[in-house]
Amino acid sequence: MKIALAGNPNSGKTTLFNAITGRQEYVGNWAGVTVEKKEGPLKPELNREKADVTVVDLPGAYSMSPFTSDESITRDFIRDEKPDVIINIVDSDNLSRSLFFTTQLLELGVPVVVALNKYDTAEKKQSSIHLDWLSERLQCPVIATIATKSAHNSGLKQLAAEAIRLGLSDYRQPAPHIAGTRHAATEADFEKADKKRYEFVSRIVADVEHRKVSSASQTAQDKADRIIASRWLGIPIFALVIWLVFSLSQAWAGPFLADILVGWLDAFQSWVAGLVSGVNPFLSSLLVDGIIGGVSAVVGFLPLIMILFFCLALLEDCGYMARVAVVMDRFFKRIGLSGKSVIPMVVSTGCAIPGIMASRTIKDTRQRRTTAMLSPFMPCGAKLPIIALFSGLFFGNQGWVGTSMYFLAIVIIVVSGLIVRRITGDASKESYFIMELPEYRWPSIKRAALSMLVRAKAFIIKAGTIILICNAVIQILQSFNWQLQLVGDAPETSILAAVASPFAWLFIPLGFGLWQFAAAAITGFIAKENVVGTLAVTFSVTRFISVDDLALVGGAGEVGAVFGIGAAAGLAYLVFNLFTPPCFAAIGAMRGEMESRKWFWGGIAFQLSMGYTLAFLVYQTGTLITTGAVGTGFVGGLTAVLVIAGVIGFFMKRGSKLSESMEEGVHFAG
Amino acid sequence: MMTLAQGTVNQTYVIRDVEAKDSMRDFLFTLGCYSGEKVTIISKLASNFIINVKDARYSIDEGLARVIMI
Repeated sequence: MKIALAGNPNSGKTTLFNAITGRQEYVGNWAGVTVEKKEGPLKPELNREKADVTVVDLPGAYSMSPFTSDESITRDFIRDEKPDVIINIVDSDNLSRSLFFTTQLLELGVPVVVALNKYDTAEKKQSSIHLDWLSERLQCPVIATIATKSAHNSGLKQLAAEAIRLGLSDYRQPAPHIAGTRHAATEADFEKADKKRYEFVSRIVADVEHRKVSSASQTAQDKADRIIASRWLGIPIFALVIWLVFSLSQAWAGPFLADILVGWLDAFQSWVAGLVSGVNPFLSSLLVDGIIGGVSAVVGFLPLIMILFFCLALLEDCGYMARVAVVMDRFFKRIGLSGKSVIPMVVSTGCAIPGIMASRTIKDTRQRRTTAMLSPFMPCGAKLPIIALFSGLFFGNQGWVGTSMYFLAIVIIVVSGLIVRRITGDASKESYFIMELPEYRWPSIKRAALSMLVRAKAFIIKAGTIILICNAVIQILQSFNWQLQLVGDAPETSILAAVASPFAWLFIPLGFGLWQFAAAAITGFIAKENVVGTLAVTFSVTRFISVDDLALVGGAGEVGAVFGIGAAAGLAYLVFNLFTPPCFAAIGAMRGEMESRKWFWGGIAFQLSMGYTLAFLVYQTGTLITTGAVGTGFVGGLTAVLVIAGVIGFFMKRGSKLSESMEEGVHFAG
Repeated sequence: MMTLAQGTVNQTYVIRDVEAKDSMRDFLFTLGCYSGEKVTIISKLASNFIINVKDARYSIDEGLARVIMI
């Protein structure tokens, strides 16, 4: 049996899906988090009949009218895959809009069960809904649910039982009687019918719902919005929030926890080293230094990543992120994007892959492609170890390094957006923005902890598979030369050094022209965590995090000396790794969302150029300030950067000519 | 007739027309924002308006507020 979950955006479909299947899909308190349907079996304890039940979570939709909606996934799914039951999730606080979609679902002939979700919020606002009357008018069961609670009174058991009962029967859902809906054929017909549909809904709502407080009256939340999303305070508040998150993760709680973890990892490594002390030195070094050392260098940063994910989950849950989109809309409009593009970028702070996929909700093709191209510039969780390592090495673990990387990312996105706008010759003046504002709510510690654990698990699995293999390969490649002889104490003659050196040569003007850095940047494309792992293996320093002095990167001077680069080059390397193309998995997601070879390759080339140019500027300016002279390879690097600028300039000029010759297009961000 | 952008905060108006191009107009329709329906301006922020339509809060930009006629 197939049960489909359908409803308006942000009505809590995925939360309910997770609650009844026990899965841990990504949820956020804003519209449009789910962009693809997800399937899972119903939890056994909710499935007394032991029926074979699959639950399908569909992306949110406001309507199924053929002329008014692009959200056709729901329609296509119901037509093609014929679910046995539809659970229509309705936000209890928003009957008058949500039931519009309900009436459309009722016309499909498939049995519908209405889940009046977020029932606790409606109760808190002292509005009461007469469930029996509503059920009678819609001719389908109506069950009050609280998907965020797993307790017995959440209504989920009853909901599942009712859905299974209807699914097993051969009940055919009767359609509501709304004039003109059956024989509508033209767009005008549909519009007329849809107005009747809304009237039908309004009559029902007037009868079954009793609100003590009108939804149009000012609330404390509206007052809060006036400060949080205001013209002058919006950005400083956002900066403060991000700074707090980074300080907590990188300067306060993170290093403390990381120290404890690294203590265990070190003990484990020495224990293994003791066990294999008699065997072949290459093999023991492969195991101890390459595999265990490389992996634990990455895993040591796990507590920092977990704290970051925990904080992000809290922020996403409380409704703040939608306000960030409102604050940013003003700036994004100038670059031909809208506040809608902020959501993919916010999601990218966790991982760029769901971030890039979230751009799918943007209807305008150019805006969607640009968003997919720029979202990976936001530092994701996997880039956090790189930030932590370099901010620890050269800047004493300050929270501001991470925060400034965030804001640098925003600046880069804005500048890149402007460039892309010029290249594509976009001349649209009108770009509308509309976004539903979810209510603020207290974030759930439990949900945040769960979300953190899910991501931590994924990180550990990655460390034990991809990163482990990469580190082993790196260790092998740096142990042998082309004649397959062990290189011993001369890794610069190894295969790895030979492969990476040509790239290292390109990096000389960026201040880190060593083959080790080149190798780390390359393995970073497989997974960004590899950057730290590869550096650990190639430089043979596995102890980035010191156990002794409670500092994140202990003996920063020593490690810095091993790296053989200064602060300017270190910062340049950090910037290079953050603002080049993302890992291959995210690149794949980019190709999927862009749906254009030209955009895809253009995007990759642009990201590479951006990383190179920025790193060049950071290193050369930094060196000039600290030493009074420009750094190595200045002329060569400058030539490369000028060529990049020239090419981009050429395309921008061509683009603006293109836009002059084109008629002014109108684009929508809705 | 005036635009929603000219309206005052805390006032409820009846929508007379939505002069946006097709896809936006249709999208607003599905939200219940069409002629004859009520809209309340909750606040004016940075360059956005917070409005209440059919028991839901939306943030819309000034451009959109200018094509909603009240």
